[in-house]
Amino acid sequence: MKPFSYFVSDSIAETLTRLGESGSRAQIIAGGTDLLIGLRRREENGPESIIDISRLSQLRGIRLDGAMMHIGPLATHREIMESDQVRTHVPLLAAAAGSIGSPQVRNRGTIGGNIMNAAACADTVPPLIALGAVVALSSAEGERTCPLSEFFVRPYVTIARPGELLTRISFPVLPAMSHSAFIKLGRRNALAIARLSVAAILTFDRSGVTLDARIVPGAVFPSWKRVKEAEEVLVGKTPAHGLFVEAGRKVSGAMIAVTGRRWSTEYKEPVIAALVQRALARCVATEPVIASDRFSRETPDRPDCAEPDTSQPAS
Amino acid sequence: MKPPTILGRPERRVDAWGKVTGKAKFAEDYNVAHQLFGVVLRSRFPHARIVKIDGDRARALPGVEAVLTARDIPGEKTFGIVIKNQAILADDRVRYLGDGVALVAARSRAIAEEALGLIDVEYEVLPHVMDPESAMQPDAPRVHPDGNVFVHHRVRKGNIEKGFAAADLIIEKKFRTQFVEHSAIEPEAVLAEPGEQGGVKITGSIQNLFSSRRSVAAALGIDLNRVQLIQATLGGSFGGKDEVMTAMCCRAALLCLSTGNPVKMVNTREESMLESYKRHPYVMAYKWGAKNDGTICAMEIRCVADGGAYASMSPFVTWRSVVQATGPYACENVSTDVYAVYTNNTYTGAMRGFGSPQVNFAIESMMDELAEKIGSNPLDIRLKNGFQRGAVTATGQKLDHVVSLTDVLCRAADAIGFKEKWLQYRTGQTGAIRRGVGLACSYRGVSLGAEGTDAAEAIVCVQTDGSVILSSGVTDMGQGAQTQMSQIVAEVLGVPMERIQFLNTNTSRVADSGPTVASRGTIMGGSAAKKAAEIVRATMLDVAGEMTGISPGKLLLGENALLDARDHRPLASFSEVAAECFRRGRPMHGFGWHKSPKTSWDEKNGQGDAYFTFVYGANAAEVDVDTETGKVDVIDFVSVHDVGKAINRAAVRGQMHGGVAMGLGYGLLEEFEFEECIPRQLNFDEYLLPTSLDVPNVRTIIVENEDPAGPFGAKSVGEPTNEIAAPAIVNAIANATGRRTYDLPASLERVLLGHALRRTGDRGSVQKEMEDAMLTRTCKIESPRR
Repeated sequence: MKPFSYFVSDSIAETLTRLGESGSRAQIIAGGTDLLIGLRRREENGPESIIDISRLSQLRGIRLDGAMMHIGPLATHREIMESDQVRTHVPLLAAAAGSIGSPQVRNRGTIGGNIMNAAACADTVPPLIALGAVVALSSAEGERTCPLSEFFVRPYVTIARPGELLTRISFPVLPAMSHSAFIKLGRRNALAIARLSVAAILTFDRSGVTLDARIVPGAVFPSWKRVKEAEEVLVGKTPAHGLFVEAGRKVSGAMIAVTGRRWSTEYKEPVIAALVQRALARCVATEPVIASDRFSRETPDRPDCAEPDTSQPAS
Repeated sequence: MKPPTILGRPERRVDAWGKVTGKAKFAEDYNVAHQLFGVVLRSRFPHARIVKIDGDRARALPGVEAVLTARDIPGEKTFGIVIKNQAILADDRVRYLGDGVALVAARSRAIAEEALGLIDVEYEVLPHVMDPESAMQPDAPRVHPDGNVFVHHRVRKGNIEKGFAAADLIIEKKFRTQFVEHSAIEPEAVLAEPGEQGGVKITGSIQNLFSSRRSVAAALGIDLNRVQLIQATLGGSFGGKDEVMTAMCCRAALLCLSTGNPVKMVNTREESMLESYKRHPYVMAYKWGAKNDGTICAMEIRCVADGGAYASMSPFVTWRSVVQATGPYACENVSTDVYAVYTNNTYTGAMRGFGSPQVNFAIESMMDELAEKIGSNPLDIRLKNGFQRGAVTATGQKLDHVVSLTDVLCRAADAIGFKEKWLQYRTGQTGAIRRGVGLACSYRGVSLGAEGTDAAEAIVCVQTDGSVILSSGVTDMGQGAQTQMSQIVAEVLGVPMERIQFLNTNTSRVADSGPTVASRGTIMGGSAAKKAAEIVRATMLDVAGEMTGISPGKLLLGENALLDARDHRPLASFSEVAAECFRRGRPMHGFGWHKSPKTSWDEKNGQGDAYFTFVYGANAAEVDVDTETGKVDVIDFVSVHDVGKAINRAAVRGQMHGGVAMGLGYGLLEEFEFEECIPRQLNFDEYLLPTSLDVPNVRTIIVENEDPAGPFGAKSVGEPTNEIAAPAIVNAIANATGRRTYDLPASLERVLLGHALRRTGDRGSVQKEMEDAMLTRTCKIESPRR
């Protein structure tokens, strides 16, 4: 491991100053669950300095402000998976955070780190993009915001400039009558990176017709995006098994359109389609997100699914 | 009438307290004043000629005390149990990426590692050979001068042509298994110190101290009595701390004697995975001929093992394979050939199972295929063909002990509800998740068998206060040997376990007892400990007779006291008898030596009494298979083993749980992959072991048929528990899906597609540009220290 200097930051201002001075030669450490592995492996090209932001309490916390949820980048995966607000309003994000690594990794790892590391298999990113999350980046020059869907360039590369610090993640909570699901396929049941994953959100009107559909697959594209052609299959219709199958096919088709047929396509093509179908089926099998009085007394129109999915793996 | 026995009781492990409180000292915990840190410069190519090594720049670095190459080895430069061709340091040629090229000792690890970068090595790259079948071709690059095929064992029984001619049906299948890492939690470590009268003392995470000692003495050119190897408390081995530790001991000793300072060496996980030997991958062609009623009339078997760069234990590993390649099934006509072949992959050697997990995967898959072909079921076909007492094996050995195969099979099948479930799951399942059950069984030769000399020593010394010191040439690596041996001594002397102190093995204080391998710890070490304790007991009863005036035949040791055998009335405490022995000048130590019963082997036709006794086991697995993703979850597991006699039931169950977990990894997850002889993963983030969420609750059933060959009837348990979990799981997958996986591990892709994905260069044009950037990045973080 190459020697580096280590700063523990006491304030955001100090962090930004230091970042501004060192630029790309500095790296930020929060939970360290990705950085430490990288440091251990990298013989050269390691950072000259590491700035520890783990004590910046302003960057912690999960806050609901009206219909907007703000998550501090230092919120740990464990805090997110256990947060009542997250579980109530955006359960797919709680599921994604809960699927990461192991209890030790979830205790240390942060949502900000998951975003900034920008691995193609980052588990919290598909739900965040499906939710329409916006991130705020601060630097010595000021703050800018950017939709997360435009934040990633390719695996491990984002539009964040040297000197910029992720300070906030915000998104509107799911509207009433929204159902969501996050499904992850790993090679084992813990400490597994996603072989493939899917975040899905379906919002219905009172008659059970799909008003809005969002589907974001993980570990499928070089960077994340909603698959509009799959979503369009569902909007304006009553959900049904056949539509889910069709939506799954659209997602695998979109994957092949971007990546071409590769050595792994033989596996990924049928499996991502199946996972999308399964995520959509799980959406209609779950309670709507807001279980307040207003909605819980009403039985939402459960659209009939030709084949109820009784076989979901525990996530 | 006997006092209550301690045998079989789930006594607490004698090493548990030290381990859970952090007092146990593992090799890396040993530090002494003035110690230097030693590191290894490893090869940069899987196969190359070394043109020149220049260590001058490294020597000039302040803090560097020694830079050594093969030329600095005063004695033998290579070692090996069977074929002495493993380089302590590569002389003129490197044969795999883990080969050591030079050594550095420096005042700190950081300085030593910096010095590695200053050693200039000029290589002439040679073509490498990466798979054993192409290595067998005459024009393949040669890894060693005598050609790449270095082992060919055969078994010939009956007449194979006649056997097939008599068959109604023939099944022919090809199976492949993978490289597997031992994955002990503790990587390799030693501390070498100069001896006061010359020579060297090495404390380390060493499994087989006596064979490592022989190599160190030969490398240094000094007598065995000048080389003292002491076993530190070991953090697991699973067969993995043999040759790799021998190399480390030799290297540390060389640096130590060259500098005159103590030298410490500790492998990082990445170094350990890069250098250490793996379990052999096998390519196995099985051809069976059978009658319509399920009788097997011919077995033709050909196995090729990838031996990697060095011979290591391959000759013995493949020998166990050739003996057990037909499984516990009767067959009159057998022709088996097992080869071991050099390649430029990491060398392969001993790992829990030792040549059995591979063949058992093939045998037990074939058995299910046979059941399918003749319209039988996996249980009945095994019961029909399975060995009974008096059966004759493929090597012509008559099984003259309790053959419990039927018993273990039926118990495993009953516990999981095999027959009903197997039928039910075959038909009529709908939905993505399908359930299946699978069965597998095995017989396994106990201890070394005809591999070679099989004997061990233990020393029991009762102190004047009645406490006991026990030492043995059989080592504890975490498997619990010290608890087993202590429990046996406690039984013989009638003292509680707490009164016994086990000493880690020291080669200068106990006789060469062979290696602690082949599940021989309890049967060999335990037998020696029993004999040693019996010698002491005889002395003590003799003295007790003089003390009490009662004849020794009417006295007993039990309940920490001297008892009157007639009514169990305590006559004196154990301590009082011990003190009396001391006062009377009677010896209170016993040297127990145990030599195994005779075995025999004729290498030409592979006939003989290969092992002096065998153990029998059966596993049953129940799985959920996600037929849309290929994901397999093992939801229930039954492990049944006949262990002869359980000395400690908790320890036996522990072995069963661990063996199944390891076997599950072998069956579903673990694969140490090479690409052009370069390992693709060097740590546990990418080499996937099963986690606690992947291993189901394992139900264990201990079967006991006491065998006269073992102490109190005990036989073996360590390896049998690990050798049939994978086929049980794969058979369960086949029951669930109707499709069989012929390659291990049964990964997502293999279960869904029937084959693994092969990485190729073709990528989509849109992604190509993006991916190139990504690949450059991952390459940087991927490269290990080499």
